[in-house]
Amino acid sequence: MPTGNFVTRIIAVTGKGGTGKTAITAMLMRHLVKGDNLVLAVDADPDTNLPDALGCEIDHTLGEMREFMLNERDNFPPDSNKESVLESKVYEAINEMDGYDLLVMGRPEGPGCYCYVNNLLRGIMTRLVTNYDAVIIDTEAGLEHFSRKLIPEIDDLIVVTDGSKRGMQTGERISQLVGELETKVKNVYVVANKVTESNRELIEQNAKDLDLRLLGAVPVDKIIEERDLKGLPLFDLPDESVAIKEINKIANDLNL
Amino acid sequence: MAEFPLEISPMFEGERIRKNDMYVELAGPKSKGFELVRATDSDEIEDGKFTLIGPDISEMEEGSRYPFAMIYKIGGELVEPDLEAIVERRNHDFYNYMQGVMHLNQRYDIWVRLSKDAVNKGLNSFEQMAAAMMSLFKNELSFIEKIEAVYITDPEEIDKELENAMEIYKERDERTANLHDEDVDTFYGCTLCQSFAPSNVCVITPDRISLCGAINWFDGRAAAKVDPEGPQFPIEKGEVIDEVGGEYSGVNEAAKSLSGGEFDRIKLHSFFEYPHTSCGCFEVVGFYIPEVDGIGWVDRDFTGNAPNGLPFSTMAGQTGGGKQVVGFLGIGINYFRSPKFLQADGGWDRVVWMPSHLKEKVVDYIPEDVVNKIPTEQDVGDISELETYLKETEHPVIERWSEEEEETEAEEEQPEQPESAPSQYMTQMPASMPSAPSWTSSASSGGVKVTLKNAKVSIDRIIVKNKE
Repeated sequence: MPTGNFVTRIIAVTGKGGTGKTAITAMLMRHLVKGDNLVLAVDADPDTNLPDALGCEIDHTLGEMREFMLNERDNFPPDSNKESVLESKVYEAINEMDGYDLLVMGRPEGPGCYCYVNNLLRGIMTRLVTNYDAVIIDTEAGLEHFSRKLIPEIDDLIVVTDGSKRGMQTGERISQLVGELETKVKNVYVVANKVTESNRELIEQNAKDLDLRLLGAVPVDKIIEERDLKGLPLFDLPDESVAIKEINKIANDLNL
Repeated sequence: MAEFPLEISPMFEGERIRKNDMYVELAGPKSKGFELVRATDSDEIEDGKFTLIGPDISEMEEGSRYPFAMIYKIGGELVEPDLEAIVERRNHDFYNYMQGVMHLNQRYDIWVRLSKDAVNKGLNSFEQMAAAMMSLFKNELSFIEKIEAVYITDPEEIDKELENAMEIYKERDERTANLHDEDVDTFYGCTLCQSFAPSNVCVITPDRISLCGAINWFDGRAAAKVDPEGPQFPIEKGEVIDEVGGEYSGVNEAAKSLSGGEFDRIKLHSFFEYPHTSCGCFEVVGFYIPEVDGIGWVDRDFTGNAPNGLPFSTMAGQTGGGKQVVGFLGIGINYFRSPKFLQADGGWDRVVWMPSHLKEKVVDYIPEDVVNKIPTEQDVGDISELETYLKETEHPVIERWSEEEEETEAEEEQPEQPESAPSQYMTQMPASMPSAPSWTSSASSGGVKVTLKNAKVSIDRIIVKNKE
């Protein structure tokens, strides 16, 4: 598999805390991996919930490796190629699972200067993503990693909202924020989560009023509720899950 | 000679081999190994010869992990030990040209994976890889006339050879560390900080690391080679204008164009005269302490107040923004290790305070005669304690005080006038620096002549005396 052979689809999932963006990410992952796609999952939320939702334990984070570079830089051989060192550290931070790789960003930047290490990271990440059919990023609503351009162009930005008007307004704010980012975002969509029969119509109306592209409405799912209570992963949900059915429909609409 | 059974092309650079697709892992974070290039007398090289010590690929189980070392002996009329590191670096590139082979990192941190796909397509011996590598080295680096390769997968043999290799790396690093500003024609500039400090001019030389501490001269060289239009780029040194201060015509020209004309002179190793600009990323800020005519240093990790009563954050705020701020200077920690550290201003003899953890980091680089005379927050808390400490330890900076005092005495004609003690000298922020000329003004009316002399900072002292 030479690099560059893939046209890598890059999807970011974001939303206000508590809307279930990590659950949506995990379910989209499930769809992609089942479809035999090689996926890189990136947990770019400092809360780091994606590993739990996917049901895997992680060894390292990218944040750790970035700190390593900062702390050790005066101890490297003077002429060492730091990009090559960091690349190796990024690879070490990748958690290799069955069917996908998981990269957790982990701790945010400290007070020092990250200009140089982030500049190296940009190049490394750009090359790394070409190894995958799809990259799916679970990210906080502030989109900080995108403002640092650590992750290259986004094809689809999915804003997850709950039924509330406020959740929808977050969606609106995020789509405005996208315009200010240096990272290019081709499409912005909204996916409503935890939708019930009683609020479905209102959600659709709200999306229309705010001029948002509502891609789908994922219903409240008993199986997910049970799993959430028990702290079980969502990656291996059964096909009959109503949420999974809607996610599969959304994924098909997105051509995933 | 064995043929590599897959494609060899730069297009395979960046190819990642996942655990599930991997036939065998060699060296890496969970094992050990190294890569080493040795300049060798041509007579001792059997060109194209390959030796394997330990099991071959065909003897390795799928999914297993082995230690791995690669040693290349290179010979040729132009081959010399200084080229070893450069050639060694190419091993990474060329390895990644091989389809189904992933190579990461360098030296004793190498990490190699061979794909199942490659093994299925006929890769069964290291000889196939070594042969491909040797021909790549010779084709791409024409000064290599003869080359021989030794690969090791036997753990004990690797331990033995690694010890030798570590010695060689160490010697090499010592040679590298001996590279100085005068040994090169090219410095490097960096504009990463210009997004928030638009007039910042970061100049990176063998004796001066970037202010953020992240980019040394070798990093600049490597980055500029890959992308000369990128954030790190070459600066031709040009003519030497001031060797001690570190002023070069090429740097001045670069300063002018990078700062949009705001600065046209930079002295790389000077605190007081045309100092380097300070971005905002610097690891340490230096601050002039006029009361003792010395320089204190405080770093980002020090949360208390420096003897001047200010914390890092306040001084960093005054210093940053890409300006030449006289009296303050941002630097990278590694600059303390430079033999040219502020050599225009007396270097370490001018350093009068730094936080203890920072001092610890660089203590090996502080000259012996001054190391125990530089106080930290554990020794002094304010300026008057600092002054006492410097006097008691006979810090070299006090010679500067006595020079001033002598000067003062020589000109004192009527010492009955009030006189300020050295500790009250120059209490304002330095408006002009020690190099500023002294000047005299006279007041004709009232029969009083006012002499201002040695006006280094604000006013050195005032003597009021009878009109002659």
